[in-house]
Amino acid sequence: MPFTKLVKNSAYYSRYQTKYKRRRAGKTDYYARKRLITQAKNKYNAPKYRLVVRFTNKDIICQIVTSEITGDKVFCAAYAHELKRYGVKHGLTNWAAAYCVGLLIARRALSKLELADTFTGVEEADGEYKLTEAAEHDGEDRRPFKCFLDVGLARTSTGAKVFGALKGASDGGILIPHSENRFPGYDIETKELDAESLRKYIFGGHVAEYMETLADDDEERYKSQFQGYIDDEIEADGLEEMYQEAHKAIREDPFMKDEEEGEEEKKSKDEWKAESKKHKLPKMSYEEKQERVKAKIGKVKESM
Amino acid sequence: MLRQIKPKNARSKRALAKQEPLMQENAKTTLFLKGTSSSSLVNDLLTDIHSLKRPYAIRFTKKNPIHPFEDASSLEFFSQKNDASLMVFGSHSKKRPHSMTWVRCFGGQMLDMLELYVVQETARTLQQFKGEKCKVGVKPLLSFSGAQFESPVSNQYTLAKSMFVDFFRGAETQTIDVEGLQLLISFFVGEDGEDGQPAKIQMRCWRIVTKRSGQKVPRVEVEEIGPRIDFRVGRTREANEGVLKEAMKTGKGSEAKPKKNVETDVVGDKIGQIHLGRQDLNELQTRKMKGLKRGRDLDIDEEGEGEGEGAEEDEDVISEEEDDMGNGVKLKRPRLT
Repeated sequence: MPFTKLVKNSAYYSRYQTKYKRRRAGKTDYYARKRLITQAKNKYNAPKYRLVVRFTNKDIICQIVTSEITGDKVFCAAYAHELKRYGVKHGLTNWAAAYCVGLLIARRALSKLELADTFTGVEEADGEYKLTEAAEHDGEDRRPFKCFLDVGLARTSTGAKVFGALKGASDGGILIPHSENRFPGYDIETKELDAESLRKYIFGGHVAEYMETLADDDEERYKSQFQGYIDDEIEADGLEEMYQEAHKAIREDPFMKDEEEGEEEKKSKDEWKAESKKHKLPKMSYEEKQERVKAKIGKVKESM
Repeated sequence: MLRQIKPKNARSKRALAKQEPLMQENAKTTLFLKGTSSSSLVNDLLTDIHSLKRPYAIRFTKKNPIHPFEDASSLEFFSQKNDASLMVFGSHSKKRPHSMTWVRCFGGQMLDMLELYVVQETARTLQQFKGEKCKVGVKPLLSFSGAQFESPVSNQYTLAKSMFVDFFRGAETQTIDVEGLQLLISFFVGEDGEDGQPAKIQMRCWRIVTKRSGQKVPRVEVEEIGPRIDFRVGRTREANEGVLKEAMKTGKGSEAKPKKNVETDVVGDKIGQIHLGRQDLNELQTRKMKGLKRGRDLDIDEEGEGEGEGAEEDEDVISEEEDDMGNGVKLKRPRLT
């Protein structure tokens, strides 16, 4: 057997400090997080907000989060499954849905801050690159609400869906510093944004296009892919109108209640607490443990 | 002390260059670690102080067989390895209950140490205070009250004050937003007790809340967010005078320029002093009257025969302006009346 030097000896293991839990799980990029939650030291030391955008298989989660010393606090949140209330019932994780969720959270945050009328953003989405600017509020110049996009571990390629949520929030009247070069429709060679194609993505034009091609070429595939749309009788050319309606409805009432919610009353906090207790063994006291041991010994003695 | 190696390649050279002193040093990192035995109270409080100090803090979770006042070499090792010049070491024993040792390092060597014992009865952790907390990485306002902190002779309390200022000051900033002023840490020390007990240092953390007052200046309130700790002072290790002097040294050119000619008086009014050159008496403006007009013969050609007084006055103004232009702009002394 050849001689190998032992690198990881006992001294190595006794000194080894484990990484953070979420680093070990591969869930948090701490390099990015550190920079997102604290200010650069030449800045004013002001608190920072993050727009957290995460995609699951069937849903989009948008949250505006601040970091306090005891943990992160969510200022407000919006989900793609809430879009059903606004008329968007299918394709809840696509680019256009991401835009809607971004718009929803922006309108929610601003109405919570009572700034909704001051910062209306871009009411008719046209796909142009535009940052929210200072506006007049109560007779004074007011800077817009500012937050920074937190994409997590998602890949930030051009046209990625996280930037759909960014565009929605930006058009909703929140200031999110960004550039145009990650939007669909951006041409790397000419370094220009094609507003027309970005507008197409905002209103689900790319989905409509695909629907049309499938309907023409492969009827069977079309049926399996877009069954939900067919059931609700949504045609490819009706998509744009649907999204326009949704945007309008979001601006009208960002806190719309779900009408189809179950009739039964929601469980209160205490009820949930009782529910969770059902599945948890209560801790035994010292006396109870002693009793249990005695009983066990007695049982064994009997059997002998 | 680690071996000092001469850098053999560019990478190690860069790494060593990073450790060299700077004109303006970056924010000091604090290392939190614990001894072989530590109480849960001390652990919790270390966590709390760590969260106040973030992001300039590292926390170790393993136990370390270290006794700082007997042998600080392991602490020096940790300090060098983690680029952390401040350390808080928590331990608990029967003789020294709930102790926190606050250590400062300079140049990889231990500079001074202060042992503080937490009074268990009054200690409250961050979690025990309900309500909103302050944001991460804010610069705290520090307040020290108590005559012992101001003592002209250095004692444990002046050492503690100097330690706390160093620990909580954070990064240097030029400007600060009012929104960022959220945290107030106050330290209070009373008089020595009658039973011969030395005075306790009371540490309290407050969140500064600005509320609408209807006027431009907001109504400021404070609410306690924890941790609340009372310290009894234990052993100390004062800094070597020479090393301390070396540690206090600042680079040339970094000291603030003295502000000349601007003072503030007792009332708070700003007073400025202006220095003027010597006064040219030939240019002195005296009483304006016709008889004193100079150089009538100079502008004889312009003096019209049939013109009235108005025209003459116009001319006067013009000639004055010409004079000014010739001499350049000058400050005029105000006339004393």
